[in-house]
Amino acid sequence: MPTLTEAPPPLAPTADGKKPTRKRGRFTPYWLLLPGILWLIIFFALPMIYQASTSVQQGSLEQGYKVTWHFATYWDALSQYWPQFLRSVFYAAAATLLCLLLGYPLAYLIAFRAGRWRNLIMILVIAPFFTSFLIRTLAWKTILADNGPVVHALNSLHVLDLTNWLGWTAGDRVLATPLAVVCGLTYNFLPFMILPLYTSLERIDGRLHEAAGDLYARPWTTFRKVTFPLSMPGVVSGTLLTFIPAAGDYVNAELLGSTDTRMIGNVIQTQFLRILDYPTAAALSFILMAAILAMVTIYIRRSGTEDLV
Amino acid sequence: MTTPDNSGDVRLSGISKTYDNGFTAVQPLDLTVPQGSFFALLGASGCGKTTTLRMIAGLEDPTTGAVHLGDQEVTHLPPYKRPVNTVFQSYALFPHLDIFENVAFGLRRRGIKSVKKQVEDMLDLVQLGEQARKKPHQLSGGQQQRVAVARALINHPKVLLLDEPLGALDLKLRRQMQLELKRIQTEVGITFVHVTHDQEEAMTMADTVAVMNAGRVEQLGSPTDLYENPDTTFVANFLGTSNLIEAEVDTKNGDDIVLKAGGGKLVLPEARCSAPTKAGGKVLVGIRPEKISLTHADDAGDIPEGRNRLTGKIADASFIGVSTQYVIDSPVCDELAVYVQNVERDGRLVPGADVVLHWSPAHTFGLDAAQSLLAGTVGSAGTEEEAAA
Repeated sequence: MPTLTEAPPPLAPTADGKKPTRKRGRFTPYWLLLPGILWLIIFFALPMIYQASTSVQQGSLEQGYKVTWHFATYWDALSQYWPQFLRSVFYAAAATLLCLLLGYPLAYLIAFRAGRWRNLIMILVIAPFFTSFLIRTLAWKTILADNGPVVHALNSLHVLDLTNWLGWTAGDRVLATPLAVVCGLTYNFLPFMILPLYTSLERIDGRLHEAAGDLYARPWTTFRKVTFPLSMPGVVSGTLLTFIPAAGDYVNAELLGSTDTRMIGNVIQTQFLRILDYPTAAALSFILMAAILAMVTIYIRRSGTEDLV
Repeated sequence: MTTPDNSGDVRLSGISKTYDNGFTAVQPLDLTVPQGSFFALLGASGCGKTTTLRMIAGLEDPTTGAVHLGDQEVTHLPPYKRPVNTVFQSYALFPHLDIFENVAFGLRRRGIKSVKKQVEDMLDLVQLGEQARKKPHQLSGGQQQRVAVARALINHPKVLLLDEPLGALDLKLRRQMQLELKRIQTEVGITFVHVTHDQEEAMTMADTVAVMNAGRVEQLGSPTDLYENPDTTFVANFLGTSNLIEAEVDTKNGDDIVLKAGGGKLVLPEARCSAPTKAGGKVLVGIRPEKISLTHADDAGDIPEGRNRLTGKIADASFIGVSTQYVIDSPVCDELAVYVQNVERDGRLVPGADVVLHWSPAHTFGLDAAQSLLAGTVGSAGTEEEAAA
């Protein structure tokens, strides 16, 4: 073994003999952050403050609005529109559950079984984003049309009898019923469920499945005790990404629903754009935000995801 | 075990594995691991040792052949129905469960309700009683390794399979865990099948070692047997270092064969030659570096009669503490390795010195000359190409 005892020659001094200045680099992170911070201030913080002040104003369009700290607007809005609030939460929860039931098997398939088809299926999941949200929802109007094949098939299979009985549909139609709205929500937000689920499933080490099998767990037990708990971060982020926008959505209820299926988003939209009652609309927006924030906080606490890897 | 018991025998009959892409990882293989033994499958990466282990565990379906545990055929049983547990490479501990629940996993799956006592005893056995409520990522590599062993052993498997269990540990910890595993095996008396690429690990721990190369078992035997009497150049080079010298069979002299190598003669006991020994045929003469003595050419007359001799010149010498390792160029063979214990150092043995290498004929072994001289050497084309194939 040859031994090297000679020290390496000292580093050659830099050309001008000065230490590189650190001053220029010190503020770089802040310069880089500036556009993002400005964006947040202009498009998030300022509108929020503006809305907050609107919600406690009084007045009318003709005489102008003044801040009078009229918090009663909140109470009035809530007492008048609580059915729409409840309906929004219920529809969003139903759509989230459907997304989870439909999305989990698909995400599982892509992560573990798809092999060389993986990329193709992923593209198919994302493909709908290439067309407009509105156009896709309008397409559902055609799909669920009263004389369309879907209604016809459901009718002849007597599925509609069941959904009529459950109150999800009315008469012999699907369009303009709760079922149509929930289906639209499910369809539109499904990719937001699949992508985080796929990401967290794909990260699971395949040897953990083998280890569970080796330790006497049948495939279903392996799923229950190992795969599902380890995919919880994906389940939580997927349900949040689905539930939060679905609860505030108004397009699906507008296009696929009826006056009986109005969600809180529709109410806010009407207040802002048709009735022009800005304080009520702003108050409703804040109530919705607070409600979602509270529900999400409880949900995250309960699911205990911070404890997972 | 007082009564003869073969329930922990592992019998592989003609099993092979060919993957969908046509790569044959394991050639048809027959192997019996007797109950209670510590058996090592040794080979370079890609030689089929892990695939063999996975077929015993049920994680891989053999293409042909059968696997028996004792008298029970398990060839097509899923892993969760086999009385076998595995210690996985890099452990595969469940990250969402604490140490206690990791160890209790197998018991719970078999419907055992009161696991507390057993798990605590097992954690004490591997000296992790204090860590029961920690998560795997909070433990060090050595502790995780012990959890993996505990998680498998608590199920009292008929056979414990270990897939490179010490690969992720540093050298010192690895030595410690080797002794620990050996102690546990002796204590519980369970059959251990251990896969490793570390020849020293295999020799330290196992009663029987099977050296695998390119999907085949090259040789099977006790560590001493494999080291002293390798059958192939692969085994000779993979287990330790061997000097292999090409020679020609000259005559037979009783139990010995006399060979011509370069200008000189070498003697080889016929019993230690695994190659056909027709007069005029080629044979590879093998000798381990530590069996060779080195004498300066000036003192050549002092070497006792009857020893095999070669002349040469020291090309390189490295002092490594307990011994000095010489590389010697001889007319017969370049780069002969010689390890000399540092008992009485001869100051004349420096690079450039003319020396005589000599050793007892009894330490010589003979191999078939039709094989690659380099098979089994570290990084040699022979093994790595096969591994990549």
